[in-house]
Amino acid sequence: MAREALLGAFDQGWADPDKLSYQSSTARILRDESVATIASHLKIAPYQLEFIADSALGNFHAITGLLKPSTLLIYSAIDRSEVMAIAHDRKSVQLAVASNAEINCDSLEADLPHDSLLALQVANGETGVIQQCNRIIEIFPTSKIACDFSSAGLRVPLPDRWDSAFFDAKSWQGPEGVGIIAIAADDQWRNPLPHIGPQRTTSSVSLPLLMATAVAMDSWVGDEATESQRLRDLSTFLRSEIRAGIPDCDIAGDLDNSLPHINSFSFLYINGEELLRHLDRAGFAVDSGSACSAQNLTPSHVLAAMGLLTHGNVRITLHHGAQHDDVVALVAALKSAVSEIRST
Amino acid sequence: MREVDCLNLRCPLPIIEIAREIKTVSVGQSLVLLSDDPATWPDLQAWARLTGNEVARENEARFTVTRRSQNDPGDR
Repeated sequence: MAREALLGAFDQGWADPDKLSYQSSTARILRDESVATIASHLKIAPYQLEFIADSALGNFHAITGLLKPSTLLIYSAIDRSEVMAIAHDRKSVQLAVASNAEINCDSLEADLPHDSLLALQVANGETGVIQQCNRIIEIFPTSKIACDFSSAGLRVPLPDRWDSAFFDAKSWQGPEGVGIIAIAADDQWRNPLPHIGPQRTTSSVSLPLLMATAVAMDSWVGDEATESQRLRDLSTFLRSEIRAGIPDCDIAGDLDNSLPHINSFSFLYINGEELLRHLDRAGFAVDSGSACSAQNLTPSHVLAAMGLLTHGNVRITLHHGAQHDDVVALVAALKSAVSEIRST
Repeated sequence: MREVDCLNLRCPLPIIEIAREIKTVSVGQSLVLLSDDPATWPDLQAWARLTGNEVARENEARFTVTRRSQNDPGDR
């Protein structure tokens, strides 16, 4: 459906919405309708939204737009690598996590500076674990809060208090290359990049992608009512089959506190890249957090912070429409791949 | 203590190697693992948890591994 909308949008929505012509005003109406749809699903006002094509840059904007040079940045050990990069050359505190990925605030100094920002990853993309956001935010009553919803998407409600939030259209199976920055109060946030125009941000997203994002959202929300529990049941089945059928395996996090569709397994003595190749040959496209590929030599900081095995890792994401038979076939492929690799 | 040299080996080879070598010592005895892969320390700790053995880090690239389990941890 999003694909059809995208193709249609290239016919209707090609004009520049900010110019004076019939096509431009059509484009402007289409843009406003899409933004209104997106805003209503997010439960955020349209004027609070900015759109950006790059996901990592979008999250960077959502955080750094709230930072002053003096602001203390508080973030967790399992946050995204761009947050680590922001923290690297400024005043910052890293929060440890427990083995179930829950943020641990016990080690925190009693009096944090008033001028601080909590970068809060609502759900972790590698493991699917959801943080107890409102409980954590209570611990930081004077801090600004930048929420990263790029994995949580529409599956987790906005916390009671937030200053910026970042969303990625991929989390509702929308198109790649649409990031959404929500800014609670205009006077708290300023564009961290040099201003080259009158707009609040310099980046924008092409209108057809914006329209496809809105359509994907409508369609995802419609399906989610039934799909959420079905995917959770499939993940329960997948995890119990792996636990029972493959020895020496770490499963990240507890499904009860996780997104229903993300599953991370690490198999002892297995090279992650080799495992991906086996699964690819069997027709399954999965992701790995392992460092066994040439371009990435450091192990997953997320798995390491949780005390889990970092090698032999696969992340299995179940999309809307995934079937029980697919999971059965995947388990069989994993079992045979792991035993084959372990025996060589 | 006998040294198992896994310098320049990438994950999971140092873990596979130590699992193979630990079978050659009796319960309570230790080996030294040399490895400079950044994944070795997190993975060695996870291995110890999964197989019931004990590990300690001496320095950046030197680890002590003590056999605590009767089982062959390297069964693979």
